[in-house]
Amino acid sequence: MGLNPDEPDETRRDAHVAEMKESGGLPVRTAEAQGGIFSGAPGFLTTRLDTVVNWARENSLWPMPFGTACCAIEMMATAASRYDLARFGMERMSFSPRQADLLICAGRVSYKMAPVLRRIWEQMPQPKWSISMGACASSGGVFDVYSMVQGIDTIIPVDVYVPGCPPRPEGLMYGILMIQEKIRRASPTADWVADESLIEGLPTLPAQHLDLVTSPFGNSTQQNRSSGLVSSGAIVRPNDRQP
Amino acid sequence: MAQTKKRTVVYNVTRNPQLADGGGLVHAPIVPVEGEVASDFDEDIHGTHMLINIGPQHPATHGVLRLVLELDGETVIKCIPHIGYLHSSFEKLGEYRTWNQIVPLTDRMDYLAPLIYNCAYAMAVEKMMGIEVTERCKVLRVILMEMDRIFSHLLWLGTTAIDLGAFTVFLYTFQERERVYNLHEAYTGARITTSATRIGGMMADLPAGWIEQLNHFVKTFPRTLDEVETLLTNNAIWVGRTQDVGVISGQDAVNFGLTGANLRASGVDYDVRKDRPYYDYETYDFDVPVGEHGDIYDRYLCRMEEMRQSVRLLQQAIARLPGGPVNVDDPRVILPPKTAAMNDMESMIHHFKVVMEGVRAPVGESWFSVESSKGELAMYVVSDGGSKPVRWRVRGPSFINIAALPHMIEGSLLSDVIAVNASLDIVLGEIDR
Amino acid sequence: MTDPNFKKGLDALDQGPARAAGETVESPPPAGDLPPHPTVDALRDTFGEAILRHEVVSGDEHIVYIGPERNLEILRWLRDNPGERYDMLRDVTAIDYGNGAFLQLVYELWSIPNRRQLRIKIELPLDRLEVDSVYYVWRASDWLERETFDMFGIVFRGHPDLRRILMPYNYAEGHPLRKDFPLRGRFTRAEQTRRSLSLKTEDHYSPYEVELAKRLGQPLPSVMADDGGPGVPESGMPGIGAQ
Repeated sequence: MGLNPDEPDETRRDAHVAEMKESGGLPVRTAEAQGGIFSGAPGFLTTRLDTVVNWARENSLWPMPFGTACCAIEMMATAASRYDLARFGMERMSFSPRQADLLICAGRVSYKMAPVLRRIWEQMPQPKWSISMGACASSGGVFDVYSMVQGIDTIIPVDVYVPGCPPRPEGLMYGILMIQEKIRRASPTADWVADESLIEGLPTLPAQHLDLVTSPFGNSTQQNRSSGLVSSGAIVRPNDRQP
Repeated sequence: MAQTKKRTVVYNVTRNPQLADGGGLVHAPIVPVEGEVASDFDEDIHGTHMLINIGPQHPATHGVLRLVLELDGETVIKCIPHIGYLHSSFEKLGEYRTWNQIVPLTDRMDYLAPLIYNCAYAMAVEKMMGIEVTERCKVLRVILMEMDRIFSHLLWLGTTAIDLGAFTVFLYTFQERERVYNLHEAYTGARITTSATRIGGMMADLPAGWIEQLNHFVKTFPRTLDEVETLLTNNAIWVGRTQDVGVISGQDAVNFGLTGANLRASGVDYDVRKDRPYYDYETYDFDVPVGEHGDIYDRYLCRMEEMRQSVRLLQQAIARLPGGPVNVDDPRVILPPKTAAMNDMESMIHHFKVVMEGVRAPVGESWFSVESSKGELAMYVVSDGGSKPVRWRVRGPSFINIAALPHMIEGSLLSDVIAVNASLDIVLGEIDR
Repeated sequence: MTDPNFKKGLDALDQGPARAAGETVESPPPAGDLPPHPTVDALRDTFGEAILRHEVVSGDEHIVYIGPERNLEILRWLRDNPGERYDMLRDVTAIDYGNGAFLQLVYELWSIPNRRQLRIKIELPLDRLEVDSVYYVWRASDWLERETFDMFGIVFRGHPDLRRILMPYNYAEGHPLRKDFPLRGRFTRAEQTRRSLSLKTEDHYSPYEVELAKRLGQPLPSVMADDGGPGVPESGMPGIGAQ
């Protein structure tokens, strides 16, 4: 029997007492009534191991904030007083990758920064998830230039892309809820360690694997896979169109 | 309980005409620092000194700054900053964008005070083109810039307090920042990336009720500021960690090119709003706080006072905000109204041409600076007569200010590195560009 | 119905940026009519031939062109001469007009006591991009000159630590703000990613620091958080027992 918040307190208390009399002890909220994950008799608890592991994981994500630019300010706003990220069990921002399981990459990433991002991802223990926050992290955004990574999915695997420039705090929270949803649907007992598709012997990748990593997946549209030099034709000004 | 010396900020309201022509305190030629070369190693340091690396991904570096420190115990012997981990090549990208398309890039450069950057860019281009914006636009831009000065100082205050161990201040300042976010959003539709200015005016006039909302903020904000002051100004920990830490003398500060509160805390009275007034700043009644010790505490006091002065400026600007159009009446830079463009063939062609070909600027250049929240922000625009700049250069205050960091922290303790770095009020988007 | 105002606008667009004859925009007076800049006269008296020409742009901005040979002498004089006292170097940058034109090196000076602005320009041929550094005159020039070197390839003789500042130290594609440099860089994205991910720890350090570490007898600290290898826990049930 569940608790209906609309019932007056007396009704609820009466039902409670009746239930206690019936079962001869403390009432146990059943899974059906609660929509929760536990069920069982007094003193016992039965559940699926998958469910309880997922439940624990999804409600105590420790984010590793990899904030570089504008999105980092919105991430701070999300963690601050009005939006209060702590409501999602993400009270503890982990600034050390070894004690984190959710990488939030907020902001643009330059080629100079890319090996750092890769290494931080490698240092996070399994299982781990990542959010690419904002247009620049997801696809390079307006910065289709010589110094910027065109989407961090060419560097690390990404679970959730949050669009926006920068996304509002609500957007980031929605992304986090999607990560939680993803965790809920996973089956940790089936594959204890998520398959790490990156190649060993890092940080240098063998050339034959690199096209895999840099190929246009996700929403990165600015990739080209051919190797070698592109022509460096001088810019024709001032009548040239936008690139 | 540690002693808390009562310190005040020196006001230099009259710009002391009897002291010197410019009213500045620094006039002596500065002795060159010829001895400092990067290649003289101290012999016999093996085993006693240590090299450590902070960043680029570190919570206390305010972004992606990276510092390499040589330590002797806890004392910093040498500090070598490395930047460029956020190099987004704004200036190169600007050469491929028309004059109006650059505006969205400017607020991604300094995301702590986006409107100041929007305005500074538009002002530089307008100066080069010889466009005089309308009276309403001038006052409106003053309002927006002063609002964002508060906006940026609040973030500086919150993060600096976090770096020194005071978390509460962060929550207080973000509460206030959320109200400025709302104002941004009501006017421009975006919380940070405002892109509010256009060449010759603004993207739109103010929405109804915006001024009332701002008025409410202006009325209630000083109360929060007072509360924050009670948390910090006489706090023994705060005073102990900030007074006489990260000192830089006025002479050195000028030689290093520091600007903004960092320079004024060292006793040099240089504020672009007073020294090269733009947008009638000379007719507003406000003071420029000037410190005397050049340490973190004075920078803190200066910024706190600057917020109060910004409130004063906002009150005056709101009172004098005139009616009338916000955009200039110059069809070469301003789009026709949407209704006209939809109903009238020629207006539509006009609209199309302005959008597709962009505004064209005459041959020329302009190096125009404003007082941003972090110091003197200059936009240098060079045109060869086309619809895109030949060169768009940003003289970022943070870039120059952070270059003085090694000078301030060499010889002090490791824990002071974080404090000094925070006190400089840097934003990496603009340092790395 | 045609609004005459926009007919005017259309015509104005066709005329382009030049002002129409008889238009009463208060245009800045030509250079000759301005009150002459006192510093320019003093410069002409002192250095004679080394001062090439004087321009006024945007109404009140004075530019003095000087030859590349005596720049250090002239700039030091500007700072130290009691009548000038340009004690603040606000900017050092360069302009590339493309098509093989001379590069313009720009110094923007400000005198706090006299409240006076002056811009010094030096034109450098592309095959001889070398001037004397003003490092020991204004320390502000330290990073500004490094940036100009990084972006344009102008060498500042006498700068004690002239190396790249924004791009990685081993960046191989050239100097990005030159007009012959393509917006997206000279290499393909795949090649750029490959180069970026194969950056080693030493590549993040200047030669000075490498030398220093050698003398200290310690390895260079890793840039990428702690350098303990990939972070997959070895034992038991990873993800649950990690704590």
